[in-house]
Amino acid sequence: MTYSDTPAVRITDLGKTYPGTKSPALSGVSLDVHRGQIVVLLGLSGSGKSTLLRHINGLETPTTGRVETLGQVVAQQRGSELRALRGHIGFIFQQFEIVGPLTVLENVLTGALSSLRGPRVGIWTYPKELRRKALEHLDRVGILERAYQRADTLSGGQQQRVAIARALMQDPEILLADEPVASLDPESSSQVMALIREIAAERSLTVVCSLHQVDLALGWGDRIIGLRAGEVVLDTPTDGLSKDQVMEIYGRVATTTGELAAIEQELADVRDALLSEELRKESEQRSDADRSDGERR
Amino acid sequence: MTVTATPPVPRASSIADRIAAVPRPRPRLSTIVSYATIGLIGVLGFASFLGLDYSLKSIETTGTNLARFIGMATPMQWPGWDVTAVVGEGGTKIFTTTWVGPEPILHMVEIILITLALVVTGTAIAAVLSIPVAYGAARNTSPHPLVLALCRGLGVVARAVPEPAIAVFLAFLWFGAGILPAIVAVGLHSVGMISKMFADAIEQTDEGPRTAIRSAGGTKPQQFWSGIFPQVLPAWVAVVLHRADINLRGTVILGYVGVMGIGAELNGALHAGPAGMRRVIPIVIIIILLCVVFEIVSSSLRAKLLGVRPTGRGVGDTVVRTALRAKDALVPVAATSAERVEAATRRPWDRARVGSAVWVWVSVAIVIASFLYLQPDVARLVSDWRFDQVHNAELGRSVWPLTFGSRDWETVLAAVLVTVQVAFAATLMGAVLSLVVGPMSARNVAPSSGVRNFFRGVALFIRAIPDLVVAILFIIATGFGPQAAALALGIGGVGLLAKLIGDSMEEVPNGPERALAAAGGTRLQVFFASTVPMSMPSSVGHLMYLLEQNIRSATVLGIVGGGGIGFLLLNALNGRNFDQVAAFVVVIIGMVVVVETAGILIRRALR
Repeated sequence: MTYSDTPAVRITDLGKTYPGTKSPALSGVSLDVHRGQIVVLLGLSGSGKSTLLRHINGLETPTTGRVETLGQVVAQQRGSELRALRGHIGFIFQQFEIVGPLTVLENVLTGALSSLRGPRVGIWTYPKELRRKALEHLDRVGILERAYQRADTLSGGQQQRVAIARALMQDPEILLADEPVASLDPESSSQVMALIREIAAERSLTVVCSLHQVDLALGWGDRIIGLRAGEVVLDTPTDGLSKDQVMEIYGRVATTTGELAAIEQELADVRDALLSEELRKESEQRSDADRSDGERR
Repeated sequence: MTVTATPPVPRASSIADRIAAVPRPRPRLSTIVSYATIGLIGVLGFASFLGLDYSLKSIETTGTNLARFIGMATPMQWPGWDVTAVVGEGGTKIFTTTWVGPEPILHMVEIILITLALVVTGTAIAAVLSIPVAYGAARNTSPHPLVLALCRGLGVVARAVPEPAIAVFLAFLWFGAGILPAIVAVGLHSVGMISKMFADAIEQTDEGPRTAIRSAGGTKPQQFWSGIFPQVLPAWVAVVLHRADINLRGTVILGYVGVMGIGAELNGALHAGPAGMRRVIPIVIIIILLCVVFEIVSSSLRAKLLGVRPTGRGVGDTVVRTALRAKDALVPVAATSAERVEAATRRPWDRARVGSAVWVWVSVAIVIASFLYLQPDVARLVSDWRFDQVHNAELGRSVWPLTFGSRDWETVLAAVLVTVQVAFAATLMGAVLSLVVGPMSARNVAPSSGVRNFFRGVALFIRAIPDLVVAILFIIATGFGPQAAALALGIGGVGLLAKLIGDSMEEVPNGPERALAAAGGTRLQVFFASTVPMSMPSSVGHLMYLLEQNIRSATVLGIVGGGGIGFLLLNALNGRNFDQVAAFVVVIIGMVVVVETAGILIRRALR
């Protein structure tokens, strides 16, 4: 499926209101994601990041507006067409969502289900080429030696690697990631984020990834889209953006006092960092001046 | 949450007035329902108890009957021996026991094998059939509300219709099909319980993995088999094995309607005069031992299949471990990705894999061997249905229209009342006894671990004894139907209810208990102030579960002489009056539906 002229994702005036709620989860969202672009959705919890992502592969249906993915209107797809479309879109979840009692290898193999007919139970019900491919993907994400372990015996970071391998099994054109590292420790977080970025580069994937950490987003994506209460409040390339600029924007992204308090600390840290940087420069200048003074003496 | 504006409490002069002015919220629904349920079961149980007439006179008669039974049943005649009586001088009988060779023993082994094979094949069929039924009956997988209602209804009906009724009907429908009707009867009846518990397990699964497969483009069947089934497999295995235990006990009842196996052997012995009576106790002992051994095997199989592996130093483990170590050393450290992948394409035979593979294949082999052993005439499932055997005016048989035969509504209702009385009296007895055994087997209530282990042991012992079998023995020995049935079910219920209550009490959060103990409360005060109220809702749920079970057991016990609606059903079955069988089955279904609906409503209110 290659329509290189059409954007990978085109969202036009998307609105979503869940039944039984008053305020919309999304309203008036319009954006294009070009092929090969790496986009970060930035926003606090409840800002509509997940809802937006889930519209791209049709896990949610829009209330208003429309979503075109890979040139197809998602809401118009039914049955096998929708499944085929989803087969081209990998999805990585915050809670990994791998099947705990199954082996790691079988979990990866489930990514290939859309290319197979009928249900499968057990590794040996999958064709041999797929098994080999799955093992190659496991090797790529660095947990090949765990292939035959139960998936729930793995650590969080390893489980997310399994989920990435499962997404790769789909040979995706688009990779959607919903807070992929929010449940991981900082060490595993940076490893997993780096892995996704590397894989995206290797396969020139289009990536839409939601995050709430500004520093992760900044060094990682090509473009940042900020969401607040279901609306796009920021859409900018990351080139030349500095952290405090983004933090400042992030401050605008936050809406309630509670949310502001939550990022207060981060803002304070940034201010401290800037302050100490200035102090360091000042003291350097002073010591330079001292030195030159001494030389003069 | 709605905040209702409470009027400011007016400044009252005395503390007493202020106390009187404190608003008293209405008690919560769950509290009302809890106490109402307990009260109702207590009152109805007591009324049933009185209705069943455990008067002194009946107890006396029971004693006489029991003595007569023991007189007739001893000396016991075990398979392989023959007991002959010679009337000696003065009318006393002299018994001589002689060894007659191994044939009767081999015959008994064959009977046991047939029984076990019947249980295995029937349960296996139910295990497979219950997957689609549970798929349709679980709220999160069911394709349509209509399918949901249909599958749930199917489950209720399958649970309610007694196996013997299905078996006899099919035996005539497939005239001459041998053991097949019994297998199908066990299978269909078991679908009821397995599919219900399996559907509950499906509803409790984590939706995440399934969503992941859905978003990767998986079809609904793929989502189920890859995302949900692996999660519920342990529950499925546990329920199926548990059902196999129950089905083994059920075969005793099936013997009463002519199904080959240990039950038929018992029934035959009971109706073969004095020589037969001497075989009764050995057969009952064999049945009890069989049930206990089967339960041990099934629970260890459950542990193996579910991956709880023994850390043992047994011969097998050691051999496997050594072999593994040798193999590990041979695997070279691969340098390139292609080599690593190549090395990983073959799954290593580690201990976990050897263990589960062996047990899975042993289980499959047992099921296949059972089918091969019984060789049911499967073709009869679809061909050559002898409708003339179940619906034939000349033979005086019909399935339609439904009729109670010569009985009027009052007689049938009286029979239903007896069955309900047996169930309620048994539930009350079980509950009263469990009120002692249950708390005493809870770690946080029992005064010492010795006491706890003792009462745990009591509950375990009672659970191990097949209560249906004991009830049959009671009924045979005492000659009293409903009273004996209620007594046997009441004592049998302790095994289950005491364990469940004990577990619920142990699960209570222990903070409040410690706080009360720290404030100087005595053990008994802590128990009533904290443990009891906190474990109340789940205990009431367990009580309802026992009642539901007792209703079904009381019906089935009627077939072997416990009276009530089961007795009417047996008469209809013996007379091949399928129109009456169907009518009584409808009554039984109605009874079970009422009790189960009450159970569902009560559980919903307790939540």
